[in-house]
Amino acid sequence: MATKRKRAASGRKSATSATKVHRSARAAVSVATNPKRTTKERVAASADAPLAICEDDKSLQAMLEVLRNRNEPVKVRLAALQSIQAASFSVVAFESCRADYIATLRSIADDPDPEIRQRVLGILAREKDGFAQKKLLEGLENPEKALVPPEKALQLLGYDLKAEAYAAAREIVSKPPNEDARREALRILSADATAAPVFEKLLQDKDETAEIRQLSASALQALKPEKLQTYARKILMDASDFDEIKATSLTALTQFGDEEAVSKDEELKKQVDEMSTKASPKVKQSARRFMTKYSR
Amino acid sequence: MTIAEVQSEARFAAWVGELAADPDRRGQLTGLLREDLPLYDQRGTATIVRMRGWILVTLARSEISDAALVFVLEELDTGFDPYLVAAAARALRSYPRPAAAFAPLVLRALTNIRYRDELVSFETYGEYAVGPTGTTPVRELLATLAWLGPHARETLPELESLRMEGGGLARKYRAELDRASAAIRNGNPIDESGDSCCALPGGVQLSWPFRARSSSAALDEVVFEDQDGTPANFNELFQGHVSIVAFFYTRCDNPLKCSLTIAKLARIQQMLEARGLTAQVSTAAITYDPAYDVPERLRVYGRDRGVRMDGHHRMLRTRDGLEAVRRHFQLGVNFIESLVNRHRVEVYVLDRQGRIAASFQRLRWDEEEVVDRSVEVLQEKEEVEPAVPARPAGMMFPMLGTLAGLAMAFFPKCPICWAAYLSVFGIAGLNQVAYSPWLKAALLALVMVNVVSVWFRGRATRRMTGFYLVSLGALAMVSTMQFGWKGTAFAGVALTMAGSLLSARRAAVAPAI
Repeated sequence: MATKRKRAASGRKSATSATKVHRSARAAVSVATNPKRTTKERVAASADAPLAICEDDKSLQAMLEVLRNRNEPVKVRLAALQSIQAASFSVVAFESCRADYIATLRSIADDPDPEIRQRVLGILAREKDGFAQKKLLEGLENPEKALVPPEKALQLLGYDLKAEAYAAAREIVSKPPNEDARREALRILSADATAAPVFEKLLQDKDETAEIRQLSASALQALKPEKLQTYARKILMDASDFDEIKATSLTALTQFGDEEAVSKDEELKKQVDEMSTKASPKVKQSARRFMTKYSR
Repeated sequence: MTIAEVQSEARFAAWVGELAADPDRRGQLTGLLREDLPLYDQRGTATIVRMRGWILVTLARSEISDAALVFVLEELDTGFDPYLVAAAARALRSYPRPAAAFAPLVLRALTNIRYRDELVSFETYGEYAVGPTGTTPVRELLATLAWLGPHARETLPELESLRMEGGGLARKYRAELDRASAAIRNGNPIDESGDSCCALPGGVQLSWPFRARSSSAALDEVVFEDQDGTPANFNELFQGHVSIVAFFYTRCDNPLKCSLTIAKLARIQQMLEARGLTAQVSTAAITYDPAYDVPERLRVYGRDRGVRMDGHHRMLRTRDGLEAVRRHFQLGVNFIESLVNRHRVEVYVLDRQGRIAASFQRLRWDEEEVVDRSVEVLQEKEEVEPAVPARPAGMMFPMLGTLAGLAMAFFPKCPICWAAYLSVFGIAGLNQVAYSPWLKAALLALVMVNVVSVWFRGRATRRMTGFYLVSLGALAMVSTMQFGWKGTAFAGVALTMAGSLLSARRAAVAPAI
């Protein structure tokens, strides 16, 4: 009986506490959307608003209006965006808000503020939104129309393997405007199995940066694991190669290596054994995993 | 304008407009919904959504035909893009008559899309909603339920639950939901006898029997690789037993398509086992994306969905020859680079000769129905099926081997034997018959050819009993010739004959692949 009373009391307490949280979230929406309050107050209030945004249409529309309004301080708009985005993580509760939210994001994808533009396009691109993809591709084809730098556009297009970014990515790999754009273009190509020869070439080219070769190793691991294994041995036997590449090579051999062949390869095992004590921490760790598997 | 001339989306939209305006060519719009058209080759998924969506929107502007209906229902059944689902829901309302069979598909679409709800615009081609105007898939689906009226009576309990606070549809749809419920309740009662819950109208079929089965000869050269990296050709995999073949790829992001297909294939395997048909009906899942779906990925994907994998049930990729497979099965798939950009759901039942006997396309198939269809194919009598042109030598080698064995056993060993044989058959003119000891070597060679042929057949079907018998038979006959053991001649002939026939009967006794 006493336990029942305790449970009922605890239930009432948590219900009261939830009501309090909701009340304070509703108050936060009202502060965040009030232009008479200071920027600092509104930004702080936005952080507490997510729970109340989808409770009623009025709250949602008020927050969306802050986000849309180009006369509002950028900090307030960014805080509103962050707040609505946080609310969207609760998929079920956000059901009634999603349609208006996505439409609003599209309407401000060409916002004069570069940070808002980039953040908005990022959210839409993660949703594999066709509108955002179209805008990003237009920007790559015609830099005058670009809403974000090419490397950012490629990175965002990379969220959808089936976006039409391959032709643009190949073009950028052959004539890169900068090293970041080249890296992002290669990242996109790493989903296409027909691009495997490009990555084989890059992996073997010791003049390439560690980052590009690392990316090539990862791409090959996904597209042609057997090819990476061939190169992995060569990389591990080369004392002058980058640690990152060695670590990836070790992982590739540990996870997908031909167990029989690797177990019999005494020269390779000796080399890796040395790495497990004398290399950088990252390589050491990978080398130990390799030895655990193949020295049995 | 033709498909080949449609390069840009603007030209595509203009072409669709032209077709829609011409009553004689309007029917061609439905044909444009086929995924395998060159029109969709090397297009991104978002572009394909715009193109297919626009065809559906255009079809919705006047009455949609029976031929178009299956594409509309497919989108409701497995679609998860808001624009396509909204367009399909609208298009369904332009079908001449509502039917109870549509209701579960509309309700399923509502469940699938409600958390991906978006504003969409149907005003012009490729337009995206950027403001509060426009419609949404949920709104279109509710309007379609209202259009179905009393035909959607079965959905009322579900609609009631969608009206509840917490777990129900968004409050902003309350009015549309109530309108749909009222239309369903208050519509004129329908004659249930002529409106089955499951039969789709307009001749829409969930499965297609292939009465004119075409030979699988085009696939003879295609090499497949299974989840363990073991290579095999089409004949080794699919000849000699009935097979259920599903297509999929591991990078598919629509959970209602590939992932569900493979999980259902696992269920089919359980049903086959329960009916004791595991040895007679094999299953295979072939990937559309062979370059990426390496054996390791196939194994993990199958394992995670409960697929049984062994010599009889495999996850496969083509090492080369995907194009031949695509042509043979007329696969509903297209690509951007090496990635699939759009595909339909498709499952096939192959007969003992590897020919397509039935297919289940587009709409979600029922496991029981597929198993039943495979049993029907299993029960087909072999003799009524026309021979497969690609395998003319199927029975020839064993028979040749048997004849060679007989000839060898009774081969005249000396000139006197020749005379004896000839006198037995009453042939006069002994001097006209040459003594030919070379014939012995030739017949021995034929026996060896038979042994090798039976070995190949045994390897393909993984049934080696025929080979063992034929080998023993050959050994017995060689002993007869070498050592003159007379008793072994008949045993040799009998063993050769038994082994050859057993090997040739591969289709009747379903072997494991």
